[in-house]
Amino acid sequence: MPDSISCEVLQRWIRAFARLVADNEEYLTRLDASIGDADHGTNMNRGMTAVVAALDSAENVASPAALFKQVGMTLVSTVGGASGPLFGTLFLRMGTACGDVEVLDAGGFARALRAALEGVVARGKAETGDKTMYDALAPAVDALEAALDAGGSLAAAVRAAHAAGVSGRDATTAMLARKGRASYLGERSVGHQDPGATSVALLLQAAAGVIPARSDSSSGSASGQP
Amino acid sequence: MSSQPAPVGIVVVSHSRCLADAAVALATEMVRGRDARIAVAAGLDAQTLGTDAVQIQQAIEQVDGPAGVVVLMDLGSAVLSAELAIDLLGDPTARDRVVLCPGPLVEGLVVAVVAASGGADRHEVAAEAASALMGKQSHLVPAGAGAGAGAGAAEPTEDEPAEVVGVFTVANAHGLHARPAARLVGEVRTLDAQVRLRNRTTGAGPVAASSLTKVATLGAQQGHQVEVSASGTQARRALEHVLALAARRFDEVDPPAPTAPDAAGVGGGRPAPACAQPASPGIAIGPVLAVRAAPPLVPDEAPATAAVEWRRLGEAVAAPRREVQRLRAAAVREVGETEAAIFDAHLMLLDDPDLLAEVRRGVDAGQGAPAAWDRAVVAVERDLAALSDPYLRARAADVRAVGDQVLRAMTGQPADAVQGEGILVARDLTPATAAGLRRDRIRGIVLALGSPTSHAAILARSRGIPTVVGAGPDALAIPAGTTLVVDGGTGEIVVDPAPAVLADYRERARRQERQAAEQLAAATRPARTRDDVDVLVSANLGSVADARAAQASGADAAGLVRTEFLFFNRDRAPDVDEQEAEYRAIAEAMGGRRITIRTLDAGGDKPVPYLRMPAEANPFLGVRGIRLTLKHPALLHDQLVAICRVARETPVSVLFPMVSGPRELLAARTALAAAAADAGGMPAGLEVGIMVEVPAAALKIESLLPHVDFLSVGTNDLTQYALAADRGNAAVGTLLDPLDPGVLALVDLVCCAARDRVPVAVCGEVAADETAIPLLLGLGVADLSVSPYAVPAIKSRVREFDLGACQLLARAALGLADADEVRAAITRWAGRCGLPGYSL
Repeated sequence: MPDSISCEVLQRWIRAFARLVADNEEYLTRLDASIGDADHGTNMNRGMTAVVAALDSAENVASPAALFKQVGMTLVSTVGGASGPLFGTLFLRMGTACGDVEVLDAGGFARALRAALEGVVARGKAETGDKTMYDALAPAVDALEAALDAGGSLAAAVRAAHAAGVSGRDATTAMLARKGRASYLGERSVGHQDPGATSVALLLQAAAGVIPARSDSSSGSASGQP
Repeated sequence: MSSQPAPVGIVVVSHSRCLADAAVALATEMVRGRDARIAVAAGLDAQTLGTDAVQIQQAIEQVDGPAGVVVLMDLGSAVLSAELAIDLLGDPTARDRVVLCPGPLVEGLVVAVVAASGGADRHEVAAEAASALMGKQSHLVPAGAGAGAGAGAAEPTEDEPAEVVGVFTVANAHGLHARPAARLVGEVRTLDAQVRLRNRTTGAGPVAASSLTKVATLGAQQGHQVEVSASGTQARRALEHVLALAARRFDEVDPPAPTAPDAAGVGGGRPAPACAQPASPGIAIGPVLAVRAAPPLVPDEAPATAAVEWRRLGEAVAAPRREVQRLRAAAVREVGETEAAIFDAHLMLLDDPDLLAEVRRGVDAGQGAPAAWDRAVVAVERDLAALSDPYLRARAADVRAVGDQVLRAMTGQPADAVQGEGILVARDLTPATAAGLRRDRIRGIVLALGSPTSHAAILARSRGIPTVVGAGPDALAIPAGTTLVVDGGTGEIVVDPAPAVLADYRERARRQERQAAEQLAAATRPARTRDDVDVLVSANLGSVADARAAQASGADAAGLVRTEFLFFNRDRAPDVDEQEAEYRAIAEAMGGRRITIRTLDAGGDKPVPYLRMPAEANPFLGVRGIRLTLKHPALLHDQLVAICRVARETPVSVLFPMVSGPRELLAARTALAAAAADAGGMPAGLEVGIMVEVPAAALKIESLLPHVDFLSVGTNDLTQYALAADRGNAAVGTLLDPLDPGVLALVDLVCCAARDRVPVAVCGEVAADETAIPLLLGLGVADLSVSPYAVPAIKSRVREFDLGACQLLARAALGLADADEVRAAITRWAGRCGLPGYSL
């Protein structure tokens, strides 16, 4: 079956995200230092390092649902800041939405991300333009669904989601923060990129880097690939 | 009682394990011995800040029972993690038994624990805890947004029960004045009920019982009947609490002398001759001064947006609140809880929902925050001033004072000014206020609070103003104009002395003056020891006036020019020209003698508003002295340029404070070189030195010596750092003796390393301590820098000693165990040396 994602690919996605977070730890913290409490990079890296350690020591993660649950539960216990429950919820909801399958198809992946977005909204009560991770995640989920609806491949859809997430992340710079500690700064929050949205963009970047490699080659549709 | 059902469980969620544990300890004190089910879910571990949804889930499951659980959280992720924890609960039916409470963590927890142990159900517990936030809510929720906005996350409540009404008779001697009113308002604010009061006797009201200013306008005097009406979920409880409180006279202990309200209306009896702590020697006789602040002006400026103006007010209220809280804490420590409660009334005014709502209306209508605040305060003041009861009328002045404090904080205007000449009586003095005291106007100082080691006391000593501290709040009740005798050498205060007593004090004062005059006559001669070694006795200055006094006192130099006076009480730093003019004026007043100018020595304990210094938990261990000025290179540059310009004309040394290692010193020297380049080149005679006040700097003095021309030991800070005892904390005051052999060892180290290379001065308090002088000389100190008024006495003291004998004394002292032993050794030594006049 083309356009599907195995548990192994999902693991690579998570590990790629962890690497990106580690590589960008200081950058994320610096962004947070401008408008928050300067711990986003540290917190996310602590959480994702713990996630990788948990994956390393786990015997065999049987299903996408189990994988995402493990990631989510690890994050809620190790991140510490608001990103813990928010990213934790993101993965927990994805896990719930996956249901009892061993391999995630394109539609299932899109449903999982949509559920993740809804979970983030329920948890953080953020709306469009509040200068939060929502501003990167929401356009990405929309773009993913739109690309799939238009008949695109999962790989192309993930790339579109990444592009939309990056645009959404960039748009947070001009926004006035209305949630979290950044909101205490009022007007002074304008002109700084939101660290949460930046982490979401990294999550999407990791997906765009990992998912085509497997799904495109397994489907044999990627041109120019060996 | 074991058959009683288990109480509601409480879960405390915080980023910090320490915070949560401490909050629980605080709250459970309230219910000692009674059953409390509390679990903590805080921190990722004992050290790492953060919240963990799984930990919270487990904590909830630990205290869950039929009565359910109330969860209290601190901020941000604590709320999100707690919500997530509910989703994670293994038993889905438990979710309905858990209430997430929006109350503030600490206050809410205290209230919740009490309510839960009293058998309240989880909704009552949560409601009680949530309303512990009312002060903050009224502060932060925009007017007109309605109560619902602030309580949006609270549990839905039942239909409000009908209003309940009761009546009490005021039993307190002074009626419902500030203290009992504060107690009443405090009680009402903890409950989820709208409580209104009406004075049945006079018909005044009804007013909101949550507003201190409104309660005061009831004019409720002893014997008046006050009607209480309450509505809301806890209406009945609120009514019961208020009536019970009234029956307890609002927990007020009436003054011991049950006098009828006196005609003068100023609080009755005079305090007897009180004995406070001596802080600056000398006898002062004179009238109590009226401290009257020049009223702060409401600036004529275009307001910013309502949000910005509102935030401006919020920030401005914070500083006076901290100041009042500081005074309150000091008062509790020094004079007891009952007396300190008066400060609660001031704090409540700063949180008064009615007052803030009025300000908010003004701000929303386009007024600037200062204008809106001033109008609201004036309105309250007018209401109070119109009352017939003199005690309550006097509260109008309290309102004005607190209002002015906020206005000053908002607009950066300087504080109190003293009118006339006489004796200043105050609660305490901030370093900035103390720095502005003039000896020609202030004959003596009496502080209700304070310690002999505080900055205020040191400044008073440096100006030669007789001072006593810790006199208690009664001192504040002495009416302006009353004759007062203050003996700063013994701590005695005599109010309105009898003629014989007055004559006795005048005679003592005359004797002291005669001796001082003899010393002064000899002061222009050098201070030469009996074995013909000249010791420099120079002066510590903080103004041009000090320089004149130093010159008149025979000071050999200005050993320390404190420049802070140029930087305090203004809204931006002085420019180069202004500083240059001041430094030149000081040099001229010193008659061309060398002046040692210390660069700005500010910090969290001596803040400079325009430098935007963040609040620090330990300002004495924070960004102060050279650490601060290196962070403000433009400011340091300007000051060094001004110093260099003056140094081209007259002998000047520059002194860098709070240096802890060569890196800072070299950075400062680089800044000096750059400044010199802008001032026409490095002045030929400019000498560079550092304050040795950080113990580490003393210990590694070898690394600093190559880069300095002289050293100046700041014994005040060196002592507090070496002995780990806060100068502002009276409780550790006895430790703070610079004659502690540990401190002496540091001074010895510095002197030994510097011998034959650079001179060592001592510019701390100890240099003017006549007991300590032989010891300092024996250690190798070549320059004693003291307050201008102490110069003649110190010079005459130095002449009594033989340096060789002093060196033997110093060696012996270094081997002793504590300052008491050192002082005893000095006394024995003085006796052996045939200095019978040398008493301690």
